[in-house]
Amino acid sequence: MSLRDPRGDGVFSATFKYWSVAPAVLVLAALTVLPALALLRMSVSTITFSEGHEHWALTPARNFAALFTDPGLAATVVNTLLFVIVAVAIEMVVGLALALLVGGLARGKGLMRTLLIVPILVPPVAIGNMFKLMYNYDFGLFNQILGALGLPAVSWLGSTSLALWSIVLVDVWHWVPFVFLILFAAVEALPIDVMEAAHVDGANRWQMLRRIKLPLLMPAIVVALVFRAILAFKAFDEVYLLTGGGPGTSSELVSLHLYRVFFEQNQLGYGALLSVLTIVVVLSMLAAGRRVVVGAGAA
Amino acid sequence: MRFIRKLAMTVASLLLVAAPGARSADKPFAEVGKQAPLTMLVPATPWLPAFSKLVEQYEAQTGNVVKLDVNPFAGVLDKARNDVHSGGGTYGALFLDTQWTIEMYEGGFVAPFTDIDPAFVMPKEVLTYGDSGYWNAQKRWRTSNGGKLMGFTVLGNVQVWYYRTDALKAAGLAPPKTWDDVLASCAKIAKPPATYGAVLRAERGNGIRYDWMQWMVERNGSVVKDPENGDFTVTLNSPANKASLDQFIEVGKKCGPPNPGSIGQGDVIQLVATGKALQAQIVLAAWSNFEDPKKSAVVGKLDVVPLPIPTGGVPGGVIGNWNYTIAKGASSGQKKSALAFAQWFLTYDAQYAYAKDGGIPNRTDVLASDLARDPAYRWMHAYAETMKSATQELGYVEGPQVEQILGLRLNQAVIGELSSAKALNVAAKEIHDVFAKNGRKTGIGPMLPE
Amino acid sequence: MTALTRIASLRRFTPATRARMLGIALFALAIIVVVGPFVWVLANSFKSPIAILTGAWSFTPTLDNYVDVLSSKRSDFVHALMTSLVVATTSTAIVVAIATLAAYSLHRFAWARWAVRALLVWTIAFHVIPIITMVGPWYVAFRDLGLYDTRTALVLTHVVINLPVALWLMMSFFRSVPPEIEEAAMVDGCHSLAAFWYVVLPLVVPGLIATGVLAFIFSWNEFTIALNLTSQANATVPVVVSKFANDYEVQYGPMAAASILATLPALMLMFFGQRFVVQGLTLGAVK
Repeated sequence: MSLRDPRGDGVFSATFKYWSVAPAVLVLAALTVLPALALLRMSVSTITFSEGHEHWALTPARNFAALFTDPGLAATVVNTLLFVIVAVAIEMVVGLALALLVGGLARGKGLMRTLLIVPILVPPVAIGNMFKLMYNYDFGLFNQILGALGLPAVSWLGSTSLALWSIVLVDVWHWVPFVFLILFAAVEALPIDVMEAAHVDGANRWQMLRRIKLPLLMPAIVVALVFRAILAFKAFDEVYLLTGGGPGTSSELVSLHLYRVFFEQNQLGYGALLSVLTIVVVLSMLAAGRRVVVGAGAA
Repeated sequence: MRFIRKLAMTVASLLLVAAPGARSADKPFAEVGKQAPLTMLVPATPWLPAFSKLVEQYEAQTGNVVKLDVNPFAGVLDKARNDVHSGGGTYGALFLDTQWTIEMYEGGFVAPFTDIDPAFVMPKEVLTYGDSGYWNAQKRWRTSNGGKLMGFTVLGNVQVWYYRTDALKAAGLAPPKTWDDVLASCAKIAKPPATYGAVLRAERGNGIRYDWMQWMVERNGSVVKDPENGDFTVTLNSPANKASLDQFIEVGKKCGPPNPGSIGQGDVIQLVATGKALQAQIVLAAWSNFEDPKKSAVVGKLDVVPLPIPTGGVPGGVIGNWNYTIAKGASSGQKKSALAFAQWFLTYDAQYAYAKDGGIPNRTDVLASDLARDPAYRWMHAYAETMKSATQELGYVEGPQVEQILGLRLNQAVIGELSSAKALNVAAKEIHDVFAKNGRKTGIGPMLPE
Repeated sequence: MTALTRIASLRRFTPATRARMLGIALFALAIIVVVGPFVWVLANSFKSPIAILTGAWSFTPTLDNYVDVLSSKRSDFVHALMTSLVVATTSTAIVVAIATLAAYSLHRFAWARWAVRALLVWTIAFHVIPIITMVGPWYVAFRDLGLYDTRTALVLTHVVINLPVALWLMMSFFRSVPPEIEEAAMVDGCHSLAAFWYVVLPLVVPGLIATGVLAFIFSWNEFTIALNLTSQANATVPVVVSKFANDYEVQYGPMAAASILATLPALMLMFFGQRFVVQGLTLGAVK
C-alpha cells in the first residue's frame, strides 16, 4: 500500500524514508542478532563447565536424539496447544465484545478503559499467588462461594481434569484487557461517516457488525490474535506458580518444560534446541494462518 | 568431662549475656582485622532477618562493610551463574542451596577456603551437614575424606514431625514414633472435613521428592548404589522403596485432605497454621510461622519430634541446606573478607545470637546450650536428634534431572495415574538413561512386579 | 408483582431497549469479574497473615503489611517504584516514537516487499524466543560495556522487547487511515514529515494510546530481565514483589500490599496520561 512520491518532494522524502526506520532497525540489530545466533549455535551444542570455564562441543545428533527420549514431551505439546487455542479464542471473543460495548458508550470511555485494564497492571507473580489462594481447596474464595451456595468444594488445582482449565481461567482474566485495549483503539478509529451512511441505508445492528465493522477491524484483530497467541505459547508465571505442571503432567506447558531443562537442569544445548523448535512451530502456524486469512479475502 | 565443658560453656555464656553491653560494638566475637567491602548473594527467606541482624552486628563490631544482595530463590542461582560464568567479581560470598553446590564445585567456580588462608580451620563443634561443604575432585563427591573445604552451612534444614499437643493429649496419645502410630492417631484425633489427622506434601517436583526421600532412607532405601565410589547402578525400584511409597500414599490418603497430589509446602503450612491439620511433616525452619500470633491460630500448641519411622526401620533425615561459599573469580580482597566473616560467623557467640534472633545455629554446643531448655526453642531437641542420622541425597551433577524424574513419577503414583511399582520402574529406567548418557558406570536392578 | 407479570412487563420495552439492558447487565458482570479479584487483593492487603490464610470475611484491618512493604529493609519498595517509573516511562516514550516512525515509513514509502517482510518476520521470531535464553548474552554484553546494573540497560532491553508489538500495532493503525487523506495532504504541498505529523498522526491517536499503554505495562511488569541485569540498587517493582514469595513460604499480606502499591501508580498514570496524549495531539490536527 505505498503511495508514489509526489513531485518536488524527492530528497526530503527519501531522507525521511530512511531515517525513520533507522532507529528501530539499529536497536534490533544491536540487541537481537548476536543473542539469536548464539541461541542457534547453542541448540546444536553441549555446554559443560569445568575449571571455571565454559566448554562448547558440537553435538547436533545428541541434542535431537534427546527430543525423542524426553518423557512427557508429547503430552506437554498437546497441553500447550489446547491451552493456547482455548484461552486465545475466549480472550478474542470477550475482548471484542467488550471493545464494541465500550465503544458504544456515550460517556465514561476513559474511565472504563482504565478499569478494564486493571488485570494486566497487577504484577504477574502477584496474580499467580493470589489465584493460588483463591483456588485453595480448604480456604479459597471460590470454594467458599460454592460452599455458601450449598455446592461441594472443587479441587481446582488438584484434579488432573481441572488443573489446566483453572489456569486457562486465570489467563483469560489476565489477558482479556490486552485484546480489549487493542480492539477498543481500533473501534475508536472507525470512521463515523461510514457508520452513519450504513445506518441511513437501513442496516441493522448485526449487519453493521458483520459487513462493516468487522472487516474494518480486521488489521487490529489480526495483530491482537497473533501477539496474544505468541504470549500464550510463552505463558510461564501462571503455570509455574499455580501448579508447577502438576498434578502429574496435566498442566505441563512447553514454557515450563523449557524452564526446567534450560534453567533448572542447566542443559543449555537441549534447552536452546527446544526454543528454536518452538519458534519454528509458531512461525509455521502463523504462516499457515495467514494463508487461510488471505485466502478468505480479508486483511 | 562433657558435662564440665557444658557447664563451663553455660557459665561463660551467662556471663557474656550478663556483662554490660555484651551485644554491643566493643567486643568482637572474633578478631578479623580490617577487611575490604564484601558483597554477598543471598536469598529472600524467613531466616534472612536473623542473618541480616547478625551482619549488622558484624559491621558494628569490626567496622567492616558487608552488602547483601537479596534475591528471590531462583534468582540466586540465576545471578550466581551469570556472575561465575563470566569470570566473577560481583560477589565475594555466594549462598548456594545444596542442589546447586555440585554444579558450582564441578565447574571450579568456588574457591577452597585453604586456598585463601592455609591456616583456616573449621571449629569442630560446627555440624558438617552431610559434608555438603567439602569437595573431593577425584571422586567427584562431597566428602571430607580427601575433600577440600569449600563452604559451610548457613541454614541447615531437616524435616521434623509437627503435632498439636492439645489434640494428642485430649486423645490420650503420646507423640507418634512409627508411621503405624500416625495412622492410628489420625483415626482418633481427626474430624474430617473440619480437621485432618496428618498432612504430607506430595506436590509434583521438589515437594514430593524431598518429603518421600525421608521415608526412603528410613528403610535404608536408595536411588543409586554407591555414587561416592562411582557405582551408579540404579536401586530405586526396590521392594523396600515400594514399601515406603505405599505407606506414604496410605498415610496421605487416610489422614490427609482429598487432593494430596497438589499439596505444597505453602499449603501444609497454611493447613497447620489455621488449625485444620493436626500433624504434619514440615521443615524445621517453618517453626517461626507458627509461633507468631499474626501468622498462626495455634500459637504455643505445637511441638516437634523427629520423624516417625516404619516398624523395623532406622532414623533417617534428609538435609536441605544453604551453603556459604566463596567465589573463585572474586578479587582477593573480597575473598579474604568473605573468609573473615566466615570465621566470625562460626563462633559460639555469633551462632548463639543467630539462634536468639530466629536462625538455626550450626554448632552442637549452641544446640545443647541453655537455649535448649527455653520453651521458645523447644525445637532444638528434635533438630539435634535428627541431625545425628541425617544425610545428603542426590549429591551428583545429574541431581536436578533425577529430582525432576522422581518429582513427576512419585506424584503420578500419589494421584493414582501409575501404580507405585510402575512409577518406580519407569523412574528407574529414566534415571538409568540419564546416567548412561553421562558416561557413568550404571546398571539397573530387576523390575518390580506390576 | 409475581414473576409472570414481571416478565410480561418486560415486553413493554422495545427490543432495542432490551438489548441495551442486556448490554448493561453484561457490562456490570464484566466489571465485577475484572475488578473483583483486585478488590479481593485490596482486602487482603489489610488483613493479618492468618486472616488471609483462613479466608476470613470479617477481620480487623491492619496497616502492618503496608508498613512492612514500605519500610522493611529487605524490600526497598519506594526506591524500586521510582526505578520502575523512570524505566517504564522512558522506554515507552522511546519505543512508541521509533516504532511509529518505522511503521509509517514501512507503510507509506516504496520499500522492497522482501525487506518489509524480513523485518516483520524477524520481529515476530524474536518475540517468540523465550527471554531466559536472551538474558545470558545480554548480561555479558552489558557487563562488558560497563552497563550492568544501570537503568540504561533496562531501558534499552525493554525497548527491544516491546518493539515487535509496537511496530505491528502502529502498522495496523496506519493501514486503516484512508489513503485519500494522505494524498490530499501531499497535493496541498506538505512534505512527508508535515503530512505525518499534522495529518496522519492525529488520526491514529487511539493506536498511539493503545501502543503506549501496552508498552508501559509490559515494561512495568517485566521481571526476568530486571532480575538478571540489576542488583538490589536498581531493582524494579516486580523483582521486589517476588521477594515476598521465598523458597517455601509466600507472605501473602505484604505481597497483597505491594501489589496494590504497584498497581495504583500505574493506574493513575494511565488514566491521566491518555487524556494528555489525546489533548496534545488533537490540538495540532487539521480538519
